[in-house]
Amino acid sequence: SERPTRDATAQMSRRYDSRTTIFSPEGRLYQVEYAMEAISHAGTALGVLATDGVVLAAEKKMTSKLLEPARSSEKMYMIDDHVACAVAGITADANILINQARLHAQRYMYNYQEPQPVEQLVQRLCDEKQAYTQYGGLRPFGVSMLYAGWDKTHGFQLYQSDPSGNYNGWKATCIGANEKATTSLLKQEYKDGVALTDALQLAIKVLTKTADSTTLTPDKFDIATVTLVDGKVKYSQLSEVQGQALLDAAKEETASADA
Amino acid sequence: MSSIMQYNGAAIIAMVGKDCVAIASDKRFGIRNQTVGCEMKKVFQMNDKVLVGLTGLASDMQTLEQKFRFKNNLYRLREEREMSVTAFSNMVSSLLYESRFGPYFVEPVVAGLTEDGKPYLCGMDLLGAPVLTDDFMLAGDCPEAMFGLCESLYQPNLEPDDLFEVLAQCLLSGVDRDCLSGWGCVVHVLTPQGLTTRHLKGRMD
Repeated sequence: SERPTRDATAQMSRRYDSRTTIFSPEGRLYQVEYAMEAISHAGTALGVLATDGVVLAAEKKMTSKLLEPARSSEKMYMIDDHVACAVAGITADANILINQARLHAQRYMYNYQEPQPVEQLVQRLCDEKQAYTQYGGLRPFGVSMLYAGWDKTHGFQLYQSDPSGNYNGWKATCIGANEKATTSLLKQEYKDGVALTDALQLAIKVLTKTADSTTLTPDKFDIATVTLVDGKVKYSQLSEVQGQALLDAAKEETASADA
Repeated sequence: MSSIMQYNGAAIIAMVGKDCVAIASDKRFGIRNQTVGCEMKKVFQMNDKVLVGLTGLASDMQTLEQKFRFKNNLYRLREEREMSVTAFSNMVSSLLYESRFGPYFVEPVVAGLTEDGKPYLCGMDLLGAPVLTDDFMLAGDCPEAMFGLCESLYQPNLEPDDLFEVLAQCLLSGVDRDCLSGWGCVVHVLTPQGLTTRHLKGRMD
C-alpha cells in the first residue's frame, strides 16, 4: 500500500503506521491493530472446551461452486497428534505459522521423546508472532488462531492467539467475523463442566446464529473434535453427514425452545 | 581388529513372500563382548506398510529412528497421507548421505508393501547406497553365515506362515555363528491385512 507522505498536513497518526517496530503517541501498535482488522473480515472460528474434549468449529468463506474440492480444510489444521488448530485471517500467513508449529512440535518430540505440552507450543508460536512486532520492519501475521489439544499435565486445553503474539487460555472463545456477537452468545450459553456432546451442540447453535449465510449447510462449515480414545489423543473432523445431524438437532432444539 | 559397526552387535534379515514381506532381528544389546540387554528393539514400524530394521552402532540406530519419526510425522501432516515404502526408503538414503563425511554407523534394511500391495525390500550401506532385491536382504555382524542360510533355504512365493518359518530359522541359525548377535529374535510379517509380530527364544548366549 502507499507510503504516507511527509506532508505536514498528513494526519498525526499515519506517520507512525509505516513501521511496525514503533509505538504511536497513544501507545498503540497500529500495524498489529490493522492486522486484527484484516482478521475481522475472515470466516468465524470458535472453540469450546468440554470435560472430555475440545470442539473447534469454523465457517468457511470460500464456497464457490468452481472450487476444486480440497481434501484439507482452509480453516482447520493438525499440528501434531495431540494438537489441532483453527485459523482466521490470511490463509497464506496461516500456512507459514502452521508449518512452523509443526516443526516446533516435531523438534520437541525429537529432543524429549514425548509430545510437546500444548501451552508451550502456543507460547513458542506466539514468540514468533511477537518478533514481527518488534524487529525487522516486517508486517505482523494477519492470522488469529485457536489451539485445541491435550497433554498429560493439564488435560484438554483451548488457547487463542492473535497477531500481537498475546495468547490466553479459554473455556470458549471465537475469532474472525462477528466476533462480538459470537462471544456474547458463548458467554450466555456456556456452562462449566459441559460434556463434548453438549459442547458440539453449543458450537453449532452459536455458529448457525452468527454465520453470514442465512441457512447453514454442512459444506459451509468445518467442525472437529479433539478427544481421548483408548488413552490416545484423537483429532477427528466431522463428516458432512455428522455435520448435518448436528444442524438438525440444533434446529429441533430452537424449534422446541420457541414452541 | 575392531570396527565401530560391530561395537554393539546386531543381525537383521528381511525376505519377500507371496504378497507379503517379513523382517526379523536379533535382540542382543552388547558393548563389545559383554551383553548388556536382551530385549533391544531393532525393527521399527513407520506406518501400516513400512518397517525398517537398523544394525550397527546402537546410539546411531536410536538417533536415526527418532529422525525417521520426525520426518515421517511432518510428511504425514503436510501431505495428509502416509509415506510410501519407496519414498521412505529414499528418504533414509538421502538422510544418510547428508552425513557423507561423518556418517551414521548404521546399515538399514527397509521392508514394506508398495502402494500396489507388492513386496519391497531395500538394503543400504552406511552412506545410503540402496540395493533393491526381490528375494532377501540382510545386514549385521555375521553376514556370511546368514547369506549361506538364506541362499539355501529361501524360496520365492512363500505364504506368510511359511515365510515366517524360513526367516526365523535363517536368523536363529545365522546368529549362532556370531558371538555378537543373538539372545532370541523378533519376526515381523507384513501382509496387506496387517502386521504379525512373534518373539522367539533361541540359544541365549
